[in-house]
Amino acid sequence: MGKRLRWRVLLILLVVAGLVAGYVATGYSHAQKEWIGSGMPPFSDALKKGIKLGLDLRGGIHLVLQVNTADAIKAERDDAVEQLQSQARDGGLTLGAVEYPSEAAFTVGVTPQTDEKKLDEIVKRWLPDWNVGSAGGKWTFALKDQRRRETADNAVSQAVETIRNRVDEFGVAEPLIAREGAERILVQLPGIDDPKRVKDLIKSTAFLELKLVEQGPTTDKAALLAPYSGQVPPQFELVEEKAQSGQRQPGWYLVKKAAVITGRDLKNARPSRGQFGSSSVTFFLTASGAEKFSAATGANVGKFLAIILDHRVQSAPRIHERISDTGQITGNFTPEEANDLALVLRAGALPAGLTYLEERTVGPSLGLDSIRKGITASIAGALLVFIAVVVYYRRAGWNAVLALLLNAVLLLGAMSLFNATLTLPGIAGFILTIGMAVDSNVLIFERIREELRGGRAPKTAIENGFSKAFATIIDTHITVIISAIFLFQFGTGPVKGFAVTLIIGLLISVFTAVFVSHTVFEIEYGRKQHIDALSI
Amino acid sequence: MELFRQTNIDFLRWKWWAIGASWALILVGLLAIFVQKGLRFGIDFAGGTQIALKFGSRPEIDHLRKILDAGNFGDTGIQRYEAPEKNEVLIRVQQQKKEGRDITADVLNLLRQGLGSQADAAKIDLNTQGRDSLAARLTAADPDQVAGKGGQTPADYYGRIAEQVIARRSQMGLFNSPSDAAGTPGLSSNVKTWLQANASTGPFVLLSAENVGPQVGADLRQKALWAVATSMAGMLVYIAWRFRSFPFGFGAVVATLHDTLITVGLLAIFQREFNLVVIAALLTLVGYSVNDTVVVFDRIRENLRTPKKEALEVVINRSINQTLSRTVLTSGATMLVVVALFFLGGEVLNTFALTLIIGIIIGTYSSIYVAAPIVVIWKQWTGRRKLAPVPAAKPVTPAPANPPAKKKSGRR
Repeated sequence: MGKRLRWRVLLILLVVAGLVAGYVATGYSHAQKEWIGSGMPPFSDALKKGIKLGLDLRGGIHLVLQVNTADAIKAERDDAVEQLQSQARDGGLTLGAVEYPSEAAFTVGVTPQTDEKKLDEIVKRWLPDWNVGSAGGKWTFALKDQRRRETADNAVSQAVETIRNRVDEFGVAEPLIAREGAERILVQLPGIDDPKRVKDLIKSTAFLELKLVEQGPTTDKAALLAPYSGQVPPQFELVEEKAQSGQRQPGWYLVKKAAVITGRDLKNARPSRGQFGSSSVTFFLTASGAEKFSAATGANVGKFLAIILDHRVQSAPRIHERISDTGQITGNFTPEEANDLALVLRAGALPAGLTYLEERTVGPSLGLDSIRKGITASIAGALLVFIAVVVYYRRAGWNAVLALLLNAVLLLGAMSLFNATLTLPGIAGFILTIGMAVDSNVLIFERIREELRGGRAPKTAIENGFSKAFATIIDTHITVIISAIFLFQFGTGPVKGFAVTLIIGLLISVFTAVFVSHTVFEIEYGRKQHIDALSI
Repeated sequence: MELFRQTNIDFLRWKWWAIGASWALILVGLLAIFVQKGLRFGIDFAGGTQIALKFGSRPEIDHLRKILDAGNFGDTGIQRYEAPEKNEVLIRVQQQKKEGRDITADVLNLLRQGLGSQADAAKIDLNTQGRDSLAARLTAADPDQVAGKGGQTPADYYGRIAEQVIARRSQMGLFNSPSDAAGTPGLSSNVKTWLQANASTGPFVLLSAENVGPQVGADLRQKALWAVATSMAGMLVYIAWRFRSFPFGFGAVVATLHDTLITVGLLAIFQREFNLVVIAALLTLVGYSVNDTVVVFDRIRENLRTPKKEALEVVINRSINQTLSRTVLTSGATMLVVVALFFLGGEVLNTFALTLIIGIIIGTYSSIYVAAPIVVIWKQWTGRRKLAPVPAAKPVTPAPANPPAKKKSGRR
């Protein structure tokens, strides 16, 4: 073996050993996470877990959610109105009616008697994020664009955090929660097969408010408002009861607008048993929450307290005595519901509503089936190709088979090292990579045959064959890699998985077809001074 | 073994016929699309809901349809899926006008109510409920009395049991009775008794459920178009640069467009659904088709480098002949893989494989009959009149100095 040849063999062995070792190491680290017993997981587990499987193969839920950022902007607007009114009241100013032309704007009636200079000072001091204009006895406030963008942006990041908290509490292995574009969130939960439960869990805004009940409940809204001449008075609001199964018509409550405490005052929440063995949720308050709660309950013994979740009255128990730092939410909960409610209360409320844009659930059995079929098809296809190549090219065909096998092994190793995810289209990409690798071998062998036909000596024919086919192989691979890069750039989920496998596979195919095959030919024929014929 | 030995076929002689045939195929495909009022977009692009279920016994499609009619879903399609003995059904529901409705949950509830027995309503359905619901129920009931005993928490303890039960379901495909679930190895007798008393096994298992909103559908469509358009542009630029010639790049792109158009048309004729998997297949096909074309072009470039003054057509014909054996062999080998995929890959990969089968045939044809002729036609039109009219069927491969080699496979 020449010195150069020895280096090449060494390089090949290093690459192969490196990738195989990488695969096994990654496999062990994955298997270790799921291994319950003591010591190391068995080798067979490590072999199976070397590559991360996509949701389509292992089962799970894929969700794309849209954050309704308008909700957050509206909340910002309502805060501003509140702020303006209370500051004006403190400053002795009387303001007119408030109107809401859009989610990011409001107008306030200002009478000629009002001290506009003072109002202007208040606005400058307390509402710096708002553009103000005045016309026809009205002041118009519009949220500044920059602030509007920030609010929307914060709402999305906060939603991502909240969802992550909830998913973590739920206990999903390797969840993916990522922001996608301006207002979208991608959630992937492998191994979960309960779409409805997870969806409700993620989507519930979990906005908890405890408010004092003034009147109600009654199904007759008009009767409730009769004492107030049919109008909801400004310090109160109407809230509907949560519909219970079997109930004909949900009732209405008239409650104080200002909440005693909200979800933000919660320290902890956990599922518990209610009075009659039904499931309920017990919550615990922070120090400041407990202070507010104890004052309010102490002053209102005998009255009812509405527990309002996501703007629906969940229950309205009577206040028997002063309560300081804990309370119970009852309702017709199943154990799962109580569990989930406690979970979302712990994890915090969402800053804005969510809409599901896309949801895909793959059950675990379908994933198993897909893997089995994909692997069977790949092995069958590969075997057919091996037979064809060996029949057609004889001894050189075995060389090609070696290159193809090596290609498959290296591809698996590289995918595991890059932590790439194997999806169903990925398996297809894998198969096509093998196709391209066959093509490279065919190109080389055909060239060698042509050279032989042209009367070249076998050794020269091999050299010429490789060097002439080289340019073509590079060209074809680069063209396909270019197209795969665009696929990766502009494609979505499954297409991306396909592109990744294809790109990695093609790079390896160049290595095996050109470098490894060539080296094998040299090992086979290089030592001999003279070769009479090639088996090709 | 050799299939082709120094062939000498005058491919370009039939170029106008080929172009005619190509146009005919394209037009037939476009006509099919037109007649069917557009492509049959899958839910990836059109939006809507698609649910795959596996039943315990052979489901009556008409009965299912009657049950679902109560849901007012609008256009609903129900069909068998996979092999008939697997009892699998695919349900499709059109995009709903009113937003916020959870179609998947509604469909499953209706079917469960319509097919399941009333007595089971309060029990946990092991066929549709997942690991976490089962774990929560078990934790609440605590049949093994692990709560308060120290050691592991009940949630962990029952979580593991639930996981094993659901894993058994995945293996069996579906539980036929609670006894199947109770048969999970390693369960304590208390848990077994609890399962027998509190679990039911509904009529079906959820294989997959997909729901795509209209916005996402439109987005995906746009992204797919972008992906195809940009990858083609990228290849045009690369080939034009590599061959220092615009007509080559142009020829490759026209050949690729040609393959894509014909394949899409044929898929429409076969009434296949157009979804993300088909897009992946089309993009693969684009790669393959270009690969094929580049191999032929490479040979043309190489042959043009020789100082001999030959007509372009002669050079091209010779190049196609020289690469013919590799073209056929590679296509054949790839075809073997794709055919294996077609028959063994399952329902999802089936359309993928069909698209590639069509694509490989068309792609092989186009790299011989479309890409190269376009280069010739382009050069003729742009007035390279140096090209003499071709004397037909002159031996294009000059006899080698040495006597023609004997059949190579005989050498050893």
